[in-house]
Amino acid sequence: MTPEKPTFFEKIQNVDKRILYLILIVLTTIPLFPMFSSIVLPNEPAPHSQAFYYQLMSVPEGKTVFIQSDWTLSTRGENAGHIESLLRTVMSKKLKFAIYTVADPQAPGVYRKYIQSVNAERKRAGMKEYKQWEDYVDLSYFPNAEGTLNAIGSDVRKIFNKRVKDPASGKDRLVFESPVLKDVVKVGDVGLYVVITASNSFDRTVERLSDKTKVVVMCTGVIGPSTLPFFQSGQIKGASIGLKGAVDVEYMMKYGLNYPDSTGKIKVPWSGKEELKADPVVEGMTIARGSLYFMSFHAAIALLILAVTVGNIGMFMARRKKA
Amino acid sequence: MQWHDTGSFGMIFVIVLVAFILFNIYRAETKKKELYIRRIPGLNAIDDAIGRATEMGKPVLMVPGIGGLNAISVQALNIFAQVSKAAAQFGTPIRLCVADAAVFTVAQEVIRDVYQQQGLSEKFDPDSVRFVTDRQFAFAAGVSGLILREKVAAAFFLGEFFAESLIFAETANSIGAIQVAGSTEKSQTPFFIAACDYVLIGDEFYAASAYLTRQPILVGSLVGQDWCKILIAACVLFGFMVNSYQRTQTTSLQRMPWSEAEPEAWAQLTPEEQGNFEAVEVMKDTGTPTLVKKENTGLYRVFNPMRDRESLTVTREKKAVVAPLGGGE
Amino acid sequence: MDFLAQVDPRVNFWATQPGSVEMWLKILVGLVISAGAIFALIKMPTRGRRPVVMAFTFLCGLFYVLLWIWPSPLNRKPDEIARSPAEGVSFLLADTLPIVATITNILVAILLGLGVYSLIRLHGGRIIKRHADRGFSVVLLVSMLTITVFGYLDWGMRTFGDKEGKLLDIANWGFVNLGADLLFDGLLQQMDSAMFSMIAFFILSAAYRAFRIRSVESTVLMASALILMVSLLSAVVVVWNGNVTNLAAAMNVPLANPSIGEAGALNFLKISNIASWVTSFLQTPALRAVDFGIGLGALAMGLRLWLGLEKGGVSV
Repeated sequence: MTPEKPTFFEKIQNVDKRILYLILIVLTTIPLFPMFSSIVLPNEPAPHSQAFYYQLMSVPEGKTVFIQSDWTLSTRGENAGHIESLLRTVMSKKLKFAIYTVADPQAPGVYRKYIQSVNAERKRAGMKEYKQWEDYVDLSYFPNAEGTLNAIGSDVRKIFNKRVKDPASGKDRLVFESPVLKDVVKVGDVGLYVVITASNSFDRTVERLSDKTKVVVMCTGVIGPSTLPFFQSGQIKGASIGLKGAVDVEYMMKYGLNYPDSTGKIKVPWSGKEELKADPVVEGMTIARGSLYFMSFHAAIALLILAVTVGNIGMFMARRKKA
Repeated sequence: MQWHDTGSFGMIFVIVLVAFILFNIYRAETKKKELYIRRIPGLNAIDDAIGRATEMGKPVLMVPGIGGLNAISVQALNIFAQVSKAAAQFGTPIRLCVADAAVFTVAQEVIRDVYQQQGLSEKFDPDSVRFVTDRQFAFAAGVSGLILREKVAAAFFLGEFFAESLIFAETANSIGAIQVAGSTEKSQTPFFIAACDYVLIGDEFYAASAYLTRQPILVGSLVGQDWCKILIAACVLFGFMVNSYQRTQTTSLQRMPWSEAEPEAWAQLTPEEQGNFEAVEVMKDTGTPTLVKKENTGLYRVFNPMRDRESLTVTREKKAVVAPLGGGE
Repeated sequence: MDFLAQVDPRVNFWATQPGSVEMWLKILVGLVISAGAIFALIKMPTRGRRPVVMAFTFLCGLFYVLLWIWPSPLNRKPDEIARSPAEGVSFLLADTLPIVATITNILVAILLGLGVYSLIRLHGGRIIKRHADRGFSVVLLVSMLTITVFGYLDWGMRTFGDKEGKLLDIANWGFVNLGADLLFDGLLQQMDSAMFSMIAFFILSAAYRAFRIRSVESTVLMASALILMVSLLSAVVVVWNGNVTNLAAAMNVPLANPSIGEAGALNFLKISNIASWVTSFLQTPALRAVDFGIGLGALAMGLRLWLGLEKGGVSV
């Protein structure tokens, strides 16, 4: 007895996954072409992104920011946008920063690359480049996250007890003699503590440092929901989650938060917190990598929704026909 | 003004949780009747999965995650010891892939001991426990390749997984393997649920060793955890009721840092004094009644007591000043 | 002997004046104790190892437990003396923490080397024993050696041979620098990214296969997943929310905040608010509950390991 030929509805609930993969490749690649790259999609930043941007823009000028950069290039689709928008904002506000990692030995090579690229961008635009020792210090890799973060909370000067090169004298000097860290006696003295991560390293940071300093997180979309209980309870002050989070930050860098434009219209309102304002970033790039990838992101999500819908329609109709 | 320093409440609460766990361990050791654990489908499926692998003549794959040698990896190896025991009895080949050298050393010893205790030392294949690499995606590529080449019939993914979880799960699914997965990373649970047959959610992973071995210590510890959860739930309920009532009241008193409440007095302090007293908070009468804010509730104060100037005034003797070290180069 | 001195000038139990008698005494005692401990461990019978491991585990865990339980020193300045023995203990614990953190950093760094050693031993053994797949082992070891050599040469050139920072400019790179960049940035990082990007394809096929409405629970799951996915599409969100505002205006429903076009009583129809409600009142409490469970499981597991109650996989 020959098997029955599958009906149309049975076919659409069992589409070969290679066809789905091909459609995904085409749909996510097309928006990356130059003709589409200048399109900026309208956006409504999420409340946790708004809180993140507000905290970042509230840091007084000249203060030091600690950046714990725990990601590698495997998650650059999301985290590259995060670090670039963070560095652009920090540099435009003339904040100093100390950057390090407690998660992966590959991470220092990655963040150095992005500091160099943002510096090169500023140089091309005629803006001041950030220099090691004067404007930032690179503290590199600490293998044991729990012990290091405990020690940062207890005695930051002891755990960051290392020497870096002072370009002026050419000698290695203690990092706490640099203009970046000379006013930091305890971790509570920093203006903000930013964790950029693709793993659960922010969990360890929140456990040990959330009551000692203001912690904000920039993380991938997968672990984003894990940050929300901490955001709700106030243990972290803001979160930029996934590619959408990177786009939110870029959007607010361009339009500000509760900030009226030249016509008096507020492009990014923060409902219920109209009194909390943050200015847009005045120098350097704002809309950048995150927004470039956003159309591809839309295409991928739309395909996902379509695939799930088509599969369910096929299942229902096939069942009805059989009944 | 805070009449009583409640800053130790959190610590005392945790000590109570610890006491619950230790008490129940003692209780399980001394009690004759076995304590009850509910059915966990994923763990019941272990024997079925191994039986299927034996019928097909294909190996059983076990992956304890990519974390280092920590409590999660130890727990995963405990579970895999049980799986290996069943596999050894049926004569089913096993493959245990690890991503950490320290876990590899321990895993080899554990699996060798399992075979020895079953009287099957000669059947133990040292190659069955493999250290692939400690790089996340290189490990994912290596294990995926092994799954596709050896066509494993059953796969157990239990431990600390991150982004590579879906790669393992989908690859094993593509060859029709039966999969039991569990991760302490709750962000990976949805991926396992989409691709695997049985998933251990949250602390079912920690319950697994108690469920499989029925050792009194482990079962007692599990019951102790349940007592802790009941206590936490009761606290949540109590806090919700108290806070819901208090937040509907109005007050003109606001808790704020001393530097904001009395800026003139604050400005007269020396920088050193300001550094010492920056945690000082006072209740200020703003004159305008508003709904009670979170910081002004009694429960918030239990966990975040107000510090006054007196409690932060500390006078200690100083020792002889040590001359700074010269150069160090 | 300045390189042996603590860089921080504070003198405490773990630090002392460089070149002083106390420093040499502490170094000597430390060396004697370490050598004695290593010798004793080597000579120890097998059945004595478990009690030693348990004792060591207990002592190391005790440090962190004491650190948590013991009150920490208040407003401590570097040159102050403790007022009482209890405060003295808190001073000692606070001074010891960075030392312990440094020791654990060193131990974890050694474990990185253990991974390299394990790979060399494993694959070297396969080559020597003429295993069937020894070709792949040769490729692995040659690749590992190449990237290590290029990496160290590049690091050496940048650290010791480039005082002016010329190598920051790619135009000044030589063969070694280009090679290190190609191997690390060009190969390793791109392969990592490629493996990670496979997840996008797997998510698509897994969702297409698994998200089927077969029961009430799966319907609820699908509905909430669709709401949250749509809420990520900002282009759709802006249009949807704009339509809700227009609807409110058409129905003469007062706007909650006219300056920003909040739709007042109809705000609940905005997709961003629905998604925010699902996230705040369904997803986050569930995640918090799972967190409680996992936290308690980790607490119990940690207690059993610390107190030596965990028998391990041996007693099956």
